[in-house]
Amino acid sequence: METTDIAAAPQPRVKHDNGALAITDTRTKFTSRVEVRRQKEAQRAYGRGRQIDVKGVKDKKLRRNLTNLEDKYKIATLKAKEAEILLENSSGFLEPETELERTYKVRQDEIQQDVSIDVAQKGFELKLENLGPYVCEYSRTGRDLLLAGRKGHVATMDWRDGKLGCELQLGETIRDARWLHNNQYFAVAQKKYVYIYDANGVELHCLRKHVEVTHMEFLPYHFLLATLGIGGQLKYQDTSTGQLVAELPTKLGTPVSLAQNHFNGVLHVGHQNGTVTLWSPNSGDPLVKLLAHRGPVRDLAVDREGRYMVTAGQDNKMAVWDIRMFKEVNSYFTRSPASSVAISDTGLTAVGWGTRTTVWKGLFSKERPVQEKVQSPYMTWGGEGKAIERVRWCPFEDVLGLGHTEGFSSIIIPGAGEANFDALEVNPLENKKQRQEGEVKALLNKLKPEMIALDPNFIGKLDLRSDEQKRAERDLDAPAAGIAEEIRNRARGKNGVLKKYLRKQQKKNIIDEKRLKVEEMYKHQQEKKGEKLKDKVAELGPALARFAKKD
Amino acid sequence: MPGRQAHGRSLLPTAAAPRARKASTKSRATKALDAFAIAEGQVTVSTRGVRTRDLEEEPERAPKRHRDDDDEDEDDDEDGDEAGDGPRNKRPRKEADDDEFDGFSGSDEEEWHVGVNNADEDSDIDSDEAFGDSDNEKFDGYAFGGSSSKKTKKKKGAESEGESDDEDLESLGSDAIDLATALDQWSGSESGSESGGEEGEEESDEDEGSSEESSGDEDDEDPSKLDALQKVIAGFAGDNEEGDNEPFGPRQKAKLSLTDLGLAGVKDPHIKKSLKLMNKEDKATKPGSSKKLDIPLAKRQQDRLLRSAAYEKTTETLDRWIDTVKHNRRADHLIFPLAQNAQDKGLNNSELMPITQKTSGTELEQTILAIMEESGLGPSAKPEKVEQEGDLAGQEGLTEAEVKELLRQRRRERELHSREAARSKRIKKIKSKAYRRIHRRELRGEEQAAHDALEQAGELDSGEEREAQERRRAAERMGTKHRESKWAKLGKKAGRAVWDDDFRSGLTEMAQKNQELRRRVEGRAKNSDDEDDDMSDASYESGDGGDKRHLLEQLNGAAAYEDDEPQSALMKMKFMQRGEDLRKKENDDLVDQIRRDLGSDSDDAGDIEEVDIGRRQFGGKAKNPFDVPNTSAKSKNRAAEESKHSGARAVEGTAKAPPPEPEPEPGAPGAAGAWSREPLDTRKSKKASKGLRVEELDLSNAAMLATKPVKVAKASKAPKSTGAEAVVTKNIQISASVIVQEREESDDEDAIHLPMAIRDQELIKRAFAGEDVVGEFEREKNETMKEDDDKEVDNTLPGWGNWVGDGVSAREKSRHQGRFMTKVGGVKQKDRKDFKMKGVIISEKRIKKNDKYLATQLPHPFESQQQYERSLRLPVGPEWSTKETFQETTKPRVIVKQGIIAPMSKPVF
Repeated sequence: METTDIAAAPQPRVKHDNGALAITDTRTKFTSRVEVRRQKEAQRAYGRGRQIDVKGVKDKKLRRNLTNLEDKYKIATLKAKEAEILLENSSGFLEPETELERTYKVRQDEIQQDVSIDVAQKGFELKLENLGPYVCEYSRTGRDLLLAGRKGHVATMDWRDGKLGCELQLGETIRDARWLHNNQYFAVAQKKYVYIYDANGVELHCLRKHVEVTHMEFLPYHFLLATLGIGGQLKYQDTSTGQLVAELPTKLGTPVSLAQNHFNGVLHVGHQNGTVTLWSPNSGDPLVKLLAHRGPVRDLAVDREGRYMVTAGQDNKMAVWDIRMFKEVNSYFTRSPASSVAISDTGLTAVGWGTRTTVWKGLFSKERPVQEKVQSPYMTWGGEGKAIERVRWCPFEDVLGLGHTEGFSSIIIPGAGEANFDALEVNPLENKKQRQEGEVKALLNKLKPEMIALDPNFIGKLDLRSDEQKRAERDLDAPAAGIAEEIRNRARGKNGVLKKYLRKQQKKNIIDEKRLKVEEMYKHQQEKKGEKLKDKVAELGPALARFAKKD
Repeated sequence: MPGRQAHGRSLLPTAAAPRARKASTKSRATKALDAFAIAEGQVTVSTRGVRTRDLEEEPERAPKRHRDDDDEDEDDDEDGDEAGDGPRNKRPRKEADDDEFDGFSGSDEEEWHVGVNNADEDSDIDSDEAFGDSDNEKFDGYAFGGSSSKKTKKKKGAESEGESDDEDLESLGSDAIDLATALDQWSGSESGSESGGEEGEEESDEDEGSSEESSGDEDDEDPSKLDALQKVIAGFAGDNEEGDNEPFGPRQKAKLSLTDLGLAGVKDPHIKKSLKLMNKEDKATKPGSSKKLDIPLAKRQQDRLLRSAAYEKTTETLDRWIDTVKHNRRADHLIFPLAQNAQDKGLNNSELMPITQKTSGTELEQTILAIMEESGLGPSAKPEKVEQEGDLAGQEGLTEAEVKELLRQRRRERELHSREAARSKRIKKIKSKAYRRIHRRELRGEEQAAHDALEQAGELDSGEEREAQERRRAAERMGTKHRESKWAKLGKKAGRAVWDDDFRSGLTEMAQKNQELRRRVEGRAKNSDDEDDDMSDASYESGDGGDKRHLLEQLNGAAAYEDDEPQSALMKMKFMQRGEDLRKKENDDLVDQIRRDLGSDSDDAGDIEEVDIGRRQFGGKAKNPFDVPNTSAKSKNRAAEESKHSGARAVEGTAKAPPPEPEPEPGAPGAAGAWSREPLDTRKSKKASKGLRVEELDLSNAAMLATKPVKVAKASKAPKSTGAEAVVTKNIQISASVIVQEREESDDEDAIHLPMAIRDQELIKRAFAGEDVVGEFEREKNETMKEDDDKEVDNTLPGWGNWVGDGVSAREKSRHQGRFMTKVGGVKQKDRKDFKMKGVIISEKRIKKNDKYLATQLPHPFESQQQYERSLRLPVGPEWSTKETFQETTKPRVIVKQGIIAPMSKPVF
């Protein structure tokens, strides 16, 4: 063996004792043009910003670490692109066969004839003539439907099975209704206050601080219920802790519409004077004020990715906005002022106006560099004397829900729903257990209200203010933290910290306020322990009492 | 004890400094090596430790390997000798210490000192060493005066160690000595101390003997001479310790003779020789040739040298690990137990090699191989094909090209033989598929007719019947091989296309239908080319006629399926031809029968294909494919198709209008429908087209373009455009009367609506004219801009240095205003985010609550904000990346698996 080693000495190859030769420095990497293109595509779709210049880094270790990081990112994007193969469901729109055909000519009954039975069943109509007009809301999974009639009728149902969840006759005006984080709770804005009910229709809470609420929104990641009253007060209530997080006066009179941006949790409020204001619970002033219309903003909607907003005003105008640039992309005329606007997962925009509903396709597209003006709608519905109150898209379904004066209609709009759901995010097929687990997980991952900002990626970024500025802004008048608080903070997570602290204090032999407080706390603690011990002794009985441990 | 001295001397070579590799030191080393050689003889090689064996395979050290190994062998010997002397790896360092020798050698403590300090002993040994191995060339010819046994022993030792020493020089360079060597030499000498001691005793015995002799002989000599002799001897023996520091040279100048020693009468040749040698040494000019040994360096110096050598060696040993340690430090994950120590390290698990007789190691493999051999599947079984071809080539001795040609010919023959069979198969298929379908449709039609008749007659209980029909329709719908249908989805999910032929055929059918439809949309005639493929049976026309026609085409294709290739020898044989004819006739009959069947129920198809029935065709219509044998089957087929096509079209012309031809309009926008296009008009302006578009939108009854009312108001073109549309609509009227009707209605509407829309806009403008929303917004924006801008604050305190209150004049007041101004920084107007945006106010106020999620400082390793923020860019959670990425990022740095976690046995890199 030695001799062979000597013979192989000039080669830098590792030879194992069993005779296997490890090949070092192989040239296995060959990037073809296809591969390069693939990388580019992946970068476009899943890349997170541009690469940083690694070569300019002086520190060797940092350079290596950053290079590794970049490599990892690249691999991650490629993997994400490759994982697209798992998105096996594809969504398709209605497409005209000839130039003469028009998709908006297609009627619901024609569609229902041509689709499979289980799909056809998704189009239905609920006749609720007396207590309308109805507002409708789908839960995040798209399984449950919440209907609330103006005159006090509330109903929840699993709309696919046609199972009624609960039905309430509240006997007072209902202005809005909203699901909370799952299908177990919903909030209803009634004549005076907002009430929270559970899935069985039991009233759980009455939110007396929310007075005469006209619009509500729920931020699922922050567990915040935002309400907008007639007085123009925007209030945020944490539904997990019950705290009222923020109360913000909009100062622009009675608001007309409210919508949330799912991307960053910012609320968009439409006002009487045609402005749209953007709010977060962290600032008393609107983040952005935008003049959208000449008359009141009847309704608005923000697309899933938080790039575009569609507003409909009293001035018969429907405008598409780029809300990252705050620029109007296009504007359209509606025949009469629209009453409700909703944007689906795939970017279809439903506009309810008068007794009709129009669905537009391609009002905006993030792929296109310049947005085109759409000439004709994708689909239309209505004209049968049912004044539309609210339009809502059902998540993960090609279904549009319409609340109107005569009840509720569910219509089929091909290509509206997201075809591939992300079960880690929202699972439309979840069972009870999964729902429960999801609830716990969501609570653990709950975002703080302070995290809401126009750019949600601000978290962890560098504070670019100068030290001078920071010092100037430091509040010198802030009261010092209380002694008990201080000790408690220090003692958090450790056993016997208080004791240790006390011991140190005793050594000092200085008796001051702090010391007294500490002693008091210590005494209190000891008492508590003693009580615990007594309890234990009592529990164990006279024979086993001596095994009770004092801890 | 002189014997011990001899042993002690062996230390000298260990002290050999890089520079001090003179001949003399080397010769001393020989002595040590000699001892080592003896020791080596005693200790067998098998006692080598496991660890050293592992170390041997260290690849990069290959050039030094040989002697390293030797060293390590020696090391192990040493280990064996001195087991329990402490951890081995600490040894070099220990030895480097000054007082180490005492502690190390244990019992021979004082001997060590003696050995070191006593520079020279008896001349015998010195001379031996001097010639011992410094010059190997000279060594052979030299004869020693000492005992022959000793000489040979030494010689052996020198031989055995000579090589290694040379290699020493090669590997380490002339100025370095391997620590291990040094150690081993030393320890070797120690191990061989006994023998050395014996030797020494022998020698000393000899000396004593001689001295006794001399003393016995020369008792009567004068004491002064004796004194001198003693002095000289003492000088040689070097037992006065203080003498080792002073130079030796001058004392040696004294010439020595036997008379000086008082041994004039002695005849002993040994003594004489040694004396001679001593004298010779003095004279010698060449260093090392016959010179006596130099004085060894002081112990301290020796130790220093030893230490430095030991240090070098240690660093070298440790440096081997640097790369490995570095790599491990940088590694993302470390997995224990190490792969290096795994049982199957270095084996490639990814690929299985075929088992052959040679490679089959285990019993199981051998058994399997044997079984395979028995059944003729083993590696020795040759593929048969090769044999055949070999045969072919072998038996006739043909050239390669010829063989190839032959093979091709054979293949063709085989193909030809089955041609008719294939044809019959094809015909049957046509018959079974399309034929049946047509029949089924007809049957259904009849049923429907009967049913209708019954219903009209009121004889039927329609409720039940209707339900059944509904059910059937539902079943049909379920069964339609629709892209979105359950069937398609299920199949897609299960990947049925891979294994299920039925499903695959369904898919192709679907695709073909799709293609066909698309082609029809494009207005191209179907079956324009290459439709002779028998898979294209899915192209339906609206009625039965189309189906039949298609079927007939296929039949034609099948009938025309003839070859004009040269017949092989086999096919030329009579009986083969007869059989072929028979089969052909059968096929033809079958075709005819199908044709007749088809012909019987559609009389209009009769005029196309009546060849076999007897009617003749005239004109430029379809030629009988059978009449034209010299054109290729394909072209014939196409011709037939075309002719039939025209025929069918003529037939169906009444029922179906030709697709509307798009009018060539260069200026018209394509987005609008055909009817909204106006005829070519040179004066057509943009405005008009816009007006049209509005109209078109209006048709949707939903929303309209927000065009500028003034432009549209110029509606002079509006009537014209509608007129144009009317023309177009007339064209279309033929094809779709329903649409036309609608269109007409909407046209009527348009006439009213177009101005209405404008009027609406006007109205709206007027309606909202009261509120100057835009102006108000502008004002608000200006205010906020001013508010946020840099400001100057007047900090003057009224009454501070001046009078205030009633009676102070306005002039006085104004004089004291603005005396203490401070500037408060804000956001300059041009720095605002909304500076250039119209109708937007973006708040420039900092949101303090967000600040707690900002990093206050740039974290340590990062040099810039970009680097830091980039490092946070990819979230770790499973929601944001694939499972693989997630697992990769959350994998722990150190993974401990089951097994024995052994330390790294050797450096990996």
